[in-house]
Parts: sequence; structure tokens; C-alpha cells
Amino acid sequence: MTNSWTKKALALCAAMAAATLSLTACGGSSDTLKIGMAIPTSGENAMYGEYMIKGAQLAVDEINAAGGLLGKQLEIKTSDSACEAGQATSAANDLVTEEIVVSMGGYCSGATLPTIDIFSKANIPMIIPAANSNSLVETPRDNVFLVNGVGSDQAKMGYDWTQKNGYKSLLVIDDKTDYSVGVSTYYQQFAKEAGATIDSISLNPKEKDFSGQVAEILKHDSFYFTGYAEAAGLLIKQSLEAGYSGGILVADGSVDVLTGSTVGQPKASEVIYGTFSVTPDMIDDGGAFISTYKAKFGNEEPGPYVIQTYDSVKLWAQAVTEAGSVEMDAVDAVLHKIEYDGLTGPISFNADGSRKKSPFVIVKVSEDNTFKLFDDMAS
Amino acid sequence: MTQVLIDGLFLGCVYALIALGYSMVYGIIKLLNFAHGDIFMFGAMIAFTMLTAVPGLQSAGIVAVFGVLILSMFLTGGTGVLIEAVAYKPLRSAPRLSLLITAVGMSFVLEYGVKQFWGSKSITWPQWAQMGAGSIPIFDGTITISRLVLMAVSIALMVGLGFYINGTRQGRAMRAIALDQRASTLMGVDVNRTISLVFFIGSALAGAAGVMFGMYYGAIGFMMGFLLGLKAFTAAVIGGIGNMYGAMLGGLTLGLIERTTVYFCNGDDSWKDVVSFGLLILFLTLRPTGILGDRVVERM
Repeated sequence: MTNSWTKKALALCAAMAAATLSLTACGGSSDTLKIGMAIPTSGENAMYGEYMIKGAQLAVDEINAAGGLLGKQLEIKTSDSACEAGQATSAANDLVTEEIVVSMGGYCSGATLPTIDIFSKANIPMIIPAANSNSLVETPRDNVFLVNGVGSDQAKMGYDWTQKNGYKSLLVIDDKTDYSVGVSTYYQQFAKEAGATIDSISLNPKEKDFSGQVAEILKHDSFYFTGYAEAAGLLIKQSLEAGYSGGILVADGSVDVLTGSTVGQPKASEVIYGTFSVTPDMIDDGGAFISTYKAKFGNEEPGPYVIQTYDSVKLWAQAVTEAGSVEMDAVDAVLHKIEYDGLTGPISFNADGSRKKSPFVIVKVSEDNTFKLFDDMAS
Repeated sequence: MTQVLIDGLFLGCVYALIALGYSMVYGIIKLLNFAHGDIFMFGAMIAFTMLTAVPGLQSAGIVAVFGVLILSMFLTGGTGVLIEAVAYKPLRSAPRLSLLITAVGMSFVLEYGVKQFWGSKSITWPQWAQMGAGSIPIFDGTITISRLVLMAVSIALMVGLGFYINGTRQGRAMRAIALDQRASTLMGVDVNRTISLVFFIGSALAGAAGVMFGMYYGAIGFMMGFLLGLKAFTAAVIGGIGNMYGAMLGGLTLGLIERTTVYFCNGDDSWKDVVSFGLLILFLTLRPTGILGDRVVERM
């Protein structure tokens, strides 16, 4: 009996050793540079993850067509974070095992935060295209860079807009995610510093019925929703049906055709405003980008964070070219000094890795449900 | 406060309609069909496809929407029967836990299967097939006409089901199986056929709820059945699972409780789910038979 057990154990060990060997063989030196993306591809936020992959793919294809980077072709490895801290951790670990050289992931801030430690320990630079909670740069690290502007910049823009319009009783609604609560907190802070009256409430984005929030909205003359598009559309639709006629502002997570199309035209284009960093249709050579994107992805309009992710890849590629290596320290050093002219505007970073000039503007829903530049608040 | 009542009752009607299917299936084969919420989602998806894929439907207006509603009910009913035949029937004599696990698996199959075909993006219901926005004032609140219509349709479906179960031969067969499956077989009741019928009706109701959900809220997605399914389950337990009237009562109760909680938190819904699911635990421990459990001797 004992003998047979020993034999079995030995056989098992041998099999495991063989498996390990063959795995190592597979993962050895390769001719491609792998870009890792820990993003949601399942669950409620799956659509944003897919937009980000497409943005990155576009940039990767352009770089590969031009001969690659340091003589190597680029390849994208994605891993599903599902926008949950737990799954994001294992997604990040998977990517480390895949031997990625850079991380271009992070959509939900709450799921991006725990990946920072993992990538840092593995000496992988992180360029975060979408997630933009201030908590991501609270503990400054040399290898974390935010391409999107941070929440406090956005909240300031939102508050300035309510003042420009003369709204008196403000309401801010978050969806309990890290990013959303962040923007909401800064918004409240700006309002309180200026002595304005402000209330704040939360909603659960998995719900569809927001009649409770609507009752509260009706008591105010403007509200700012800092969550994502699915809930934004329903919330606005239901508040308009209940007879609300005050100001409506949404944060960048809700700046998506979905918000307007859920609310329905012509109403949507009359009342919905948003705080947003620039998109292809707001920039001078955006038309060219949109047509390339549409040609590649079956006539689909580029959604949120497509150009941010595109910029991230291009930015990293330039840093690698300048550094002549993909090693973290070399790339980080270049990124800290870089002055890159991206589709989202000039990109350079503060010492903590947040973006220097965060290009937030006020946008408004147009007749085709896309958000268009309304006011750059320059004056 | 009137508004709280109206909102709560409306939400309760949606819960009740889905809870009915949960409760019927549980009543008859003691299975918690966790795929039920996803049948609801599937109903919305196929209705959306019919509404957008068939040209010229828009000109038929409300008649077309009604036709699509009926057709979707048949299709989701058929799906329910198919799921039962494929996933539950082979396990009918297996331990209850195996069935439960299969049901959870089925739920994921539906969710991510739908995601493959319809995508992960939230889908906007065609504007013309959404309900209008006119409203009627009641005391110090208002109710939209669309809500009134949906509540009326839900109540009509529930009353119709009540008549069916209490007044027809098949209904009597269902009640008999719920009481004692083996005895029913001995008395000549076609058990397999009756169980299929229960799945058909329950799933058709969920499908109807899905279509009406799309018409009212205007946005559907592959995950929409998950939370709503859990809420409907909670409603069924509160009312007394396995009991048809319990499902309706539980739905309305849960809707009212949720809306009242939000009201007392000044529009913040952070505590809502804590209260709803806390209530679920409270009922399961203190009164597992639900509100109506003891008063009604006969299940179904």
C-alpha cells in the first residue's frame, strides 16, 4: 500500500516537473514585446474594457506596421479584472506571468489600485489610460502614470460650471465606486469652501429604478452624477419624466452615446452636459482618427477611452524609443521628463505621476447622442 | 409620501411578476431556479431583436409592441421548457444541491451566452416602442400613464394565472404534484408534461416582465436579470416561497420596503440592499414559510 502511494507520488512529481519545464520553455525569450491590459471584459463594465482594447490595438497595429519597437513586434495580452479588486489582483498576476513589459490597464479605479503593488514589484511600468481616482497617486511611485486627468481637476470644472450658470442648491450623486466617490468628494469640497449648499447621495448602478434618487433631485436646481453611463441614462430619464427641469451634469464616466440614447431625443440634446477630457471629434485631426477606427472595427464609433488608450500606447512607445530599452527604470526616467503631443493634448507628468495639464472641458449631448464640446471654460 | 407609495408599488409589481415564476417552480419541484432572472433578461433581448430586425414594424405602433410581447412570451416559455429538459429533468432524483448548482450554472450560461450574441453594451430600447411620458397627479404625487399600464398588465397576468391554477385541470394537476409527486403519478397525472408546463408559464411571465421592463426603463443589458432575480427570490421568500399569492404579496412588500428605506435616507440607496437582504435572512431564520406560509395549507 505504502509502496504504491510512493510510486504515485513520484509519478505525480515527475509529471509536475515536466509540466513546469515545458511551461518555462514556452515563456522563454520571444520576439514580441507584450503589453498587458488588466481591464474589465466581463460584468457591467465590459464594454469599456473592449473600447480600451480597440484603442490599444489601433496603436499597436500602427507601430507594428512601421517595423515594431526596438525591432520587435508588439502584442496585447488582456486579462479580465471584472472591475473587482479581487479578480484584478489575479488578472495582474497572470499578466506578470505572461512576462509583459508594460501595463496599459485600469478602468475602474477600485480595481486598478491593488494592481499597482503587483506591477511595481515585477518592475513593470504602468500607464493608466482611464482610471483617474486621486487615490491612485496618493502614494507616489516612479512607475505609475495617469493619462486621464485626476478627479479633483474634473470636480473643479464641474463646480465652476454650476457657478457660471448660477445654480444655488447643488446635489451630487455617486455610484459608490472609488472613482465616483472621489469626484463627488472633491466637488463637495469645492462647494463647501465657497460656502454653497450641497447635498450628496449614492445609488447602486446595478439597479434600474431610481425613483428614490429622483425624489431628492426634484428638491435641487442642479445635480452632478459622477458614475457611469448605464445608470446616468436611466437616472436622467426618470428625473425628466418626474418633471425635473434643473441643471444636469455628468462626469466623464457617463460621457457616452449611451447616456443620450437612453434618455431619448430631442430631450437629451437640450439638457445634458458633462465634464470630460477631449475626444477625437473635439480635436483638429480627429476626423482622420475616427475614420481609421471605423474602417478597422466595422463602422463602430470610437467610444470612451479609445483615444486615451491609444495615446498611452504611443506615449510608451516613444519613451521606449528614447530610452532604447523596455526596462522599467529607463522608461520611467524618460516618462517623467516627456513632453508628448497626444490626441488628448500635450502629455507631461507631475512628480506623483498625475497628468500636468488635464484637459477637462464642458461637453453637451448633440442630436446624434455623442457629446460635443460646449464650453472650454477658458473665460 | 404618496410618491413613495406609488414608486414602491410599481417596483413591487415588477418584483412580483418575476417572483411568481420562482415560486411556481419551487412549489412544484422544490428547485430554486436561479436561471429565472436570466430568462427575464432573455425575453427583453429577443423582443428587442424582433422590434429592430423586422422592417415596417414601427408603423404598426402599439399593435406591433403587443404582438412582440406575446411572441416573446412564447419564446421564453419555450426556452424555460428546454432548460428544464436539458438541465433539470436528468437530475430530478439527484440531491437537491446538485439541482441548485446546475441552476446557478444555467444562469451563467444564459448571461454569457447572451453577451456573445448581443454584446456587453447596454442596449437602448427603440424610442418608438417605449412608453409615453404623460402623467396623472394623485394627491401630492404623480403617476405616469406608462406605469399605470404596466401595473394593470402585471395584475391582469397574475389574476389570469390565479384562475388558471385554481380553475383548470392542468392547474389542479400542478397543485397535486406540489403536494405529492408520486401520488399524482399513481393517480394518472402526467408529471413530466405538467412540470414542463409550469416552466413554460413561469418563463413566459418572466419574458413578459422583461419586455415590459424594456418598454418602461428603455435600457437593457445582459446582466439585468442578476440583481433583479435575487430581489425576486427575496420577494418570493418574504411572501412564502412556493405560494403564488405569497410571491405577489412578497413582491409588493419588498418594493415598498426598498422605496421607504431610500426615502428615509434622503434619496441615498446605500442602505437599501442591506435592508432587503437582511430581511431575507430574518425571514429565513425566524419565519422560513414567509408571510403567507402558515395560512395557506396547500402550496402553489
